[in-house]
Formats: sequence, C-alpha cells, structure tokens
Amino acid sequence: MSSAEADRGAWLLVLSFVFACNVLRILLPSVSSFVSRVLQRDAEQEAQMRAEIQGMKQELAAVNMMDEFARYARLERRINKMTDRLKTHVKARTAQLAKIKWVVSVSFYVLQAVLMVSLIWKYYSVPVAVVPSKWVTPLDRLVAFPTRVAGGVGITCWILVCNKVVAVALHPFS
Amino acid sequence: MSRVASSEATFTLVTTPSLAPSLPVEKMEPVTVAPRENGDWRGGGGGPLGSGLSESQRRAELRRRKLLMNSEQRINQIMGFHRPGSEEEESQINSRQQESDKLNSLTIPSVSKRIVLGDSVCSGTIDQQSVAEGKGTQLGDKLDSFMKPSECSSDASLDLRQRNRGDLSTDTVQRGSRHGLEQYLSRFEEAMKLRKQLISEKPNQEDGNTAEEFDSFRIFRLVGCALLAFGVRAFVCKYLSIFAPFLTLQLAYMGLYKYFPKGEKKIKTTVLTAALLLSGIPAEVINRSMDTYSKMGEVFTDLCVYFFTFIFCHELLDYWGSEVP
Repeated sequence: MSSAEADRGAWLLVLSFVFACNVLRILLPSVSSFVSRVLQRDAEQEAQMRAEIQGMKQELAAVNMMDEFARYARLERRINKMTDRLKTHVKARTAQLAKIKWVVSVSFYVLQAVLMVSLIWKYYSVPVAVVPSKWVTPLDRLVAFPTRVAGGVGITCWILVCNKVVAVALHPFS
Repeated sequence: MSRVASSEATFTLVTTPSLAPSLPVEKMEPVTVAPRENGDWRGGGGGPLGSGLSESQRRAELRRRKLLMNSEQRINQIMGFHRPGSEEEESQINSRQQESDKLNSLTIPSVSKRIVLGDSVCSGTIDQQSVAEGKGTQLGDKLDSFMKPSECSSDASLDLRQRNRGDLSTDTVQRGSRHGLEQYLSRFEEAMKLRKQLISEKPNQEDGNTAEEFDSFRIFRLVGCALLAFGVRAFVCKYLSIFAPFLTLQLAYMGLYKYFPKGEKKIKTTVLTAALLLSGIPAEVINRSMDTYSKMGEVFTDLCVYFFTFIFCHELLDYWGSEVP
C-alpha cells in the first residue's frame, strides 16, 4: 500500500476509532456489571440468604405470637440476624461494584486519551483528507490546523467533527 | 364644670415638665410620661380625662413603633436564620427605640400643654376625638386631628410637622432596611428552589452527557445539512466556497423555525446558572444567554454534519474515481 493510499485511509481510521470510543462509552455500564459478576463469586450466597429470610418470614407469619411467644421471638431474632448479615453483604458488594465501575471508567478514559494523542501524534503534519483550498475558504487555515497544507483537513478538526457526528448518530442508543 | 375643673387640673400638672425639663423622668410619672422597662406607658395621677387621653395615645404609638422595629427580627425568627450583623442591628434598633421613647417622653407633654393652653374647649373636643379614633393610629395623625376642630397656636403645628419629618426620616431608614431584607429573602428562596431542582435533576445527569433532545425541527436541520453537502459536492463546490451555501441554509432555517411545532423548552438548572443567579445577574439575562449559547451550539452541530458529509462524499467519489479505470 503506497503512502498516498495509506494517508487516504486516515480519515476512515480516525472515524473508526472515534466511533469505537463512543460505542464503548455507551456500553460502559454493561462492561462494569459483567466484570463485577466475574469478580464477585458470592452472588449465590446472597440469593440463598434472601430465600432463607423469605422462608423464615413466612414461618413467622404462621406463628401466633400470643400462643407461641418463645418460638416467635426466636424466629424474629434469627430473621433480624440474617437481615443484618445480608445488609453487610450487600453493602460490601455495592462498594466493590462502585469501585469496579470507577476503575473501568477511568481505564476507558485513559485509553481514549492515549488513542487520541497517538492519532494526533501520527497525523500531526499529514492531513487526513485534501480538497482544493478554494473550497474551504475562508476557514482553510483553521481546517488545516496543524498541518499547514493548503486545502488539507487537519487531524484536530477531523476528530472534532467526527466526535460530534458520531454523538448525533448514536444519540438514540445512548 | 367637672371637665373645666379637670382641664385646669391638667394645666397645673402638665406645665411642670416644660418648666423643669431637667427633672428626671421618674418625677414626671404622675403626669403619665415615664416609660417602664417593658415600654408600656403607665398612667399615674392627675386628671382622669387628660391622663386617659395621653395614655391611650402613647400606648398606641408605642405599640406601633414596637411592631415596626421588631419586624426584621420576627422575619429572621420565622426564616430560622441569623445574619452576622443581626444582633448588632437588634441592639441598634433597641437603642433607637429607647431614644424615640425618650423623645416622646420629653416632647409629648409640651405638645399637649400647648394644645391645652390654647383653649379649654379644645381639650374637651380632643378628649372625644381620641376616644372615637381609638388605638393604633399614628401620633402625627392624632395630633393633626386635635388641631383641626380647634383654634390652636401655629407653634404647635410647626412642632408637629418637625416631629413628623423626624418620624419620616426614621421611617425611610426602616423602609430601606426592610427593602434590603426583602431582596435578600427573595434571593434566599430562589437559592433554595434551585437547590431542590439540582438535587432532583442530579440522577438524570449521572448517566453521562446530557444529550440534547432532538425534536422534529432539529432532525429536519440535520437531514437538510447532509443533503445540502451532498448536493454541493456534486454540483456547486467547483464555483464557490462550500460554506456559502451552508450560511444560506442557516438563514433559511431561521425563517422556517416558526413553522415548526415548538416543543416545551425545559430550562436546565445547572450549578453555573445557580451561581450566576445568586451573584445578582437577572434570570432573564441568564435565560437569554443560555438560549443564545444553545442556538450557537445547534449551528455548530449543523456545520459539523455538513462538513463531515462533504468530506465523506468527496473521499468516496475520489475512491470510486480512482478505482474506475
């Protein structure tokens, strides 16, 4: 592939990366929940505890407090103890989930920043597309920044335009 | 007869304070001029009619002044907050009240003396009028009503006018402070409303960018820009700049805007708008600025879509042109 053809595909490459970043940002919550499900293996224990509490509550409803006070009180104590354990468990899981979400989002933004910087570094002096300069007057210099090529479309302008267009296109899915 | 006798008795008693102004207030108590700690005027000895007149009058005046002085304090208590200078203001107000009470204690008897001295009949009619008017009227109005039916001396009226001017100046000061307080309270209420709105809107904004809501006109604009870019690339770009047709299209959109159904514009309350509102910028100015800013954003989005479509078409045509031998 010649350099001209390689540069020809630059606009498409930048567009693809921007599109991928935006799609990944929309999917961030799903990724976070997937990662949390993989790392937190004790979700079954929580479900078991909930089922146990539910069963005990049903049993408690069937017991008459006046006739079998001791049994009633024992059951209530067990329910309270199990509920406290469940609350602690849920609290720990929620904190871990929040941590995972934070890590995932920070990683994503760092990755996006690295990608953008690398793209700008690569195409700093090479325009991603070239058109006759009189087509883009009077904004030709602004469009060509930082390449200084007459009629060229600079990487910064193209990244900005692609971001905006992809955001508009993905608006119904966000 | 009894009235004349009482007026004479009043004359005898009332002249004492004016002849000896240096006497302390306590000695004037029998003539119902000494204020107590709670600010109430207590009647003492002296003629029943004369003391009754001045007593009710003074009580009404004191009550009025108390209400006016304490309004600020009452509002603070209701709102449940204390301003940093509120205690100082309260002490100032209290001192002002005491000063005005002292003024009343010194001047009222001299005024009433002049009224009484003018005509014995005046006192009788004055007595009737004060009873008829009741409590709660201003001192100046009461004294004016005293003056109307009687042929009293002009000196008294001059004194009254001067006292009224003094009252007016204190009233304007009070009004000014009240206006400032009202302004502060209105801003405080706005701040509370904004805080509630921000709290309620926070969960919506936590999902990420607050995307603009695309109504029919917005979609029409974007589609129009894309179609124009395609047309410009196909036919027009060889002759002029690509931004000229875009500007023409934007002007056309400005004219077409009124023909589209306008959706409900939800005013987004952000921390920035809250800060601008609290810093004293009128809400109308903020709304107009935000409106202008949003319109500029829409034009920028249209430009991006237009330029992207143009470059996309250009590159595709170049690619197909190079592919076709």
